[in-house]
Parts: sequence; C-alpha cells; structure tokens
Amino acid sequence: MTNDVYTYTFKKAQLQKAGKKVFMVGLLLLGGLYSTRLCAQVNVSGKSGLIYIPTAEVQDDRTFSAGYIYNPINYAIKFNKRNSESIYFVNLVVLPRFEVNVNLLRPNGTIPFMEGGIGDRQLDLKYVFLTEKAKRPSVAVILSAPFGVDNSLLTHAVIATKHLPVAKSITAIVTVGLGSPYSVGRRTNTNDILSDFALEDKRDLPYHYLTGPFGGVNINFASKGGVMVEWDSQHLNVGAYALLFKHWTVQAGLLNGDQLTMSTSYSLNVFQLPKRIRKHGKA
Amino acid sequence: MGRRDRDQVGAWMRKTSILWVVWLCFVTIGFAQQRNTLQHFENVSVDSARHLVAYEQRLYRNPVVGLLELSELLAPLGVNEFIPLYQGVPIARYRLGETITTTILSRKERADWVRERKFDSRRYKLDFRLQPEFIAQFGFRERPLESKTNLLLQSQLYLSRGLVLNWGVLFPIVNHLDNQSLNVRPAPTFLNQFLALDGANFMSLSAGLFYNDQYGVNVQYRHTDLTKNWSFGLESGYTGFYYFPQSGFYYESLQNLIVLADVAYRIPSRDVTIKLSGGQYMYQDRGARLDVIRQMGNVEVGFFAVKTGDGTTGGFNFAIPIPPGRIAQTNRVRLRTTEEFRWEYAYTRGYSIATRYRVGYQLDALLRQYQQHYLQNQYQ
Repeated sequence: MTNDVYTYTFKKAQLQKAGKKVFMVGLLLLGGLYSTRLCAQVNVSGKSGLIYIPTAEVQDDRTFSAGYIYNPINYAIKFNKRNSESIYFVNLVVLPRFEVNVNLLRPNGTIPFMEGGIGDRQLDLKYVFLTEKAKRPSVAVILSAPFGVDNSLLTHAVIATKHLPVAKSITAIVTVGLGSPYSVGRRTNTNDILSDFALEDKRDLPYHYLTGPFGGVNINFASKGGVMVEWDSQHLNVGAYALLFKHWTVQAGLLNGDQLTMSTSYSLNVFQLPKRIRKHGKA
Repeated sequence: MGRRDRDQVGAWMRKTSILWVVWLCFVTIGFAQQRNTLQHFENVSVDSARHLVAYEQRLYRNPVVGLLELSELLAPLGVNEFIPLYQGVPIARYRLGETITTTILSRKERADWVRERKFDSRRYKLDFRLQPEFIAQFGFRERPLESKTNLLLQSQLYLSRGLVLNWGVLFPIVNHLDNQSLNVRPAPTFLNQFLALDGANFMSLSAGLFYNDQYGVNVQYRHTDLTKNWSFGLESGYTGFYYFPQSGFYYESLQNLIVLADVAYRIPSRDVTIKLSGGQYMYQDRGARLDVIRQMGNVEVGFFAVKTGDGTTGGFNFAIPIPPGRIAQTNRVRLRTTEEFRWEYAYTRGYSIATRYRVGYQLDALLRQYQQHYLQNQYQ
C-alpha cells in the first residue's frame, strides 16, 4: 500500500511537470499570434503597479492580462505569519481608462477546516480620471467592489503617476498614492449581494495592505525590464522585472529586506484581426 | 483526500495531459495546412452583374474575418457587395468601400431571393466542431473548483432554408459537480429554425434536447435594424429536465416556463450594448437583469447584475473563439474547433437566481455580431 502511494506521488509530479511544459509551449505558440508591444508590470493583485503598490498608468484599450503571484508567509495578507499565499488574477481594460480586475487569493498549505473556502475573490475597478500631460501626472482611483465577505486583499486608493525620461530609453516612472484604511464589506454570505453591508477598518486585520500614504519608483530600460523600489505604507520593498517575448512578464521582489515575492503574467490585446487580413481592417 | 480521490485526480491529470497534446497537434496541423481560402465558405453564389456575393461561413465568430477574407479572394471579379447567410438565410447587405455600408433587406427583396435561389443542402459541408463544455461552481478548499467538463463533437445538418438539426456526441472528461456518470452520450440534439421576417425582424425557433439538461421548446423574437442602436426582443420557452444515464433516457415532465422581454441600446463608438431584460426565469423565479456587454473584435465580455425573487447577484461573462479553428477540411467535410465558447460566472451560488438554459445561440448575441458599427469599427 505504502509503495503504491509513493509511486502515485512520483507519477503525479511527473505528470504535473509534463502538463506544465505542454501549457508553456501552448502559451508561447499563442504569443506568436500577436505582435503589439505591451508593458504589463503588475502588483500583488495583478494591476499595473510595482510590487505591492498600484500605479495610475493607462493601459491600451482592450488589453487583457492574466497571471500568478506568490506572496510570502511573513507578509501574507490573509493569514499573516501562518500561510504564504497564491494570488491569481485576470485584468481587462473594459473601456478606455477603465479596468476591471478579478483576483483570487488562496492561502498555501494547510488551514483549519472552518476557515477553508475557495479563497478570497475580489472584483476591483480602476478608473484613470486624469491622463498624463507634459506637466501633469495621470491620476487614478481604485476601488474593490463591496460584495465580499471576510476580505483581505482590498484596494481603496487614489494614485498619481508620472513618467520622467532619465536618459535615452531609460524612464523613471514615479508614483505616489494614498490608501484608505476603511472599506465596505458584507457581514454574511446570503442570497443578496446588495445587503448586510458594514464599514470595516483594514487595520483590524493582522496585516494592513495599503493603509496610508505609499509611493515608489520604477526605472524602466527600453520597455524590456526594470528595477523598482517602493514604500507600501508599511515596508520598503525592492524588485526587478523583465518582459519576455513582448507579452510575458516575470518579476521578483524583496519585501522589507526579508522575504521574496515572485510573479508572472501574460498580456495581450484582444482586439486583433488575423495578420493575413490586417491590412484591410484597422484592428 | 482519500486514495480514491487521488486516483481520480491522477486519472484526470492523465486525461487532460493527453488532451493538451492532442490540442497541440491540432494547432500544428491547423498552421501547417495549405490554405485554400475558398473552402472556408459555403453556399457561395456570385452575381457578377451586380458585383454581389452571397455566402455562409461557420468558421469564424467574428464575421469581419470572413468578410475581409472573401473580399480579398473575389477582388479580381470586382465584387464589393456581400450578403452573409446564417443557416441559409440572408442577414443584410454590406458594401465594402471607404467604409462598410449596411443595407437591410426588405420583405420583397427576401421574397425575390427565395424565388431566385433554391435551397440546396449539398452546398454545405459535413462540419464537425469540437466544443468544450465547462459547467462549474467555485466550491470549497478541498476542491476549489467543482466542475463538469465535457468535450462535445457536434455537427449540423442543414435540412431546409433556415432549418438546421444540431446533433453530436458528448465525451465526459470530469464530473465533480453532480453524480452523473462519465458515460459517452448524445450531445444536445435539437432543431432550430432561423427566420428573417423582413429587414429588422428576426426569429429563432428551437425544439429538442438543449444544454443544461433541459428539453422542450424555445422561441425567440427580436426587432433590430442592424444600422440602428435600439433593439428589443422577446423569448419564451417551456422545458423539462432530462439526462442520459448509463443506459436509456430519463426525463421529467415539462414544467419550466420562461417568459422574458428585453430592450437594448448600443453605444456604437465603443461597441457597448446595454441591455435591460426581465420576466420569469426557470423555477418560476421572477425578476430583472441588467447587462453591459462590450464586443472587442473576436471576443465579447459582459458584466451583469440581476435581482429576482430568489436573490440578488452579479457577475461577468465572455465569449471567445477556441484556437486553432480549422483543423482539416475538404470541399465536403471539415473538422474544426468551436467558433464560440461562452461562459458566465455569477458571484452567488446555490440560490438558483435567474437560472436559464442554453439553446444553440441567443438571437440578440447573434445579431449584434452583424451590427453595422461593430463591422465598421474593425474596418480600415
């Protein structure tokens, strides 16, 4: 019996590996179909941003991105110092300057049965109400929808971002913002997502995400990669990222000089006609 | 997880890995295949005197792709007017110039059309479509996703003008959602009649075994001028539960009456449709629903909020084509992946709020794909 179990685990790991390989090849093939340049540097919840903090950058209309973020145990947002976290997201520019982000936060490892759910689902809305001009930064507001129960990764913030050319093909992207410690959520899960609202204070949670002033700088080299430093309202974090094959971003960050976070995301514009007929259409 | 569960997961992993490999093979074949573009189209008739072509294409979700492909092909013949057909029925007339000019077809034009052209089902391919079906709810930690995933091999038999028999075979892959066994069984099988009454009034009549385990009848009517922004529609259906056990056929009596009405407005510059609908959904649940839908080339994404007697919820939906599309084709037969995979997520589960079933297509979703501005926004 024991043998059986060991064989099983081995097989499972092998299969998972094979599955991942096939998936990656598929992803690369898919990447070959599209050619627009996209910069998709994302934060912990999958929005344009640095490591933890979001920015007010405007993505092209109809840009879709999806990805995964690993958040380490000491800085875990849900079960702080108990379970590291996996965060999955999709993000779509639904209208020019308006983005919808759907993310799912799942604690890694074992957790007590009663606390087990699928994880935290969030629907976040971002609107860039001022676009960047010569002397003006872009300004955006991000709000998590108030339908959730027992929330953790919430964003309620106003952000300003400005691109400053440093040298040829080097740009400093400077961001400052203010996160609200207050949020609105629901007390219980009922059949009515518009009922039972309550005002919550994020500072009651074991770990505070974006409660207060934050800011950071992203130094981008020719849209191919960059380095970042940020104050996330609690800690000082540094990180680096690279954009591969024009669509695939990989990044890593060191939180508070202590633990590593990592993420990967893929981004493409869904408004694309096949290449063979593109000269006729404008899409 | 018990050992049995792990075995199941293992089996599932094996199955899905195989699927991925098969899929990749298809992708490769799809790319490698010699392009014979005219084979993408069916029931093509060129009227060179009027520089006009009528054609049907079932390959692409986005009609613009077919339209531009065919226009390139027929440019030497001087053809600049196009009449796409749906199940053999003309939708509207599109003239390609500096812009796309849409002309709706009057009742008389349609009558003349029917008189001039006899319907011939041999002008259509035996078309096989691979369609994944993914019915899921987000469950608990032990199994975050409770899903019922199937792969459908579907086909359509063109019986007469507008009348199509949809049929196929369903291959189950995984089922953690309910206790239905993993037996290979018939895919949803039903008749559909598509009707264009005149330039702006359309109907879709269906009868048979639909998706989501409902059988019965469904009638949809829509008034939409493809050059205008407002439209409205009515839908009614009377259905009951059915499924295919290991052997035989199980069904219950007809009991679900749905009666729905909607009015929609389209913001042409953004391809955004705002649709307010309401009435009675399945299980005698009454209420109203607001949809905001954006068409983005081949893809469609929507958000909705719904309030009924059973509760209030919201969510999102999308419709995407599944690559690679065409896998192999001759003049008579074709194997391809589906042009449209549609999926909807609602935040709340377990309260059956505004539940409905799916037939082959929804009339409003079909017709907004032929809307003048949607085509124009992708052109030049």
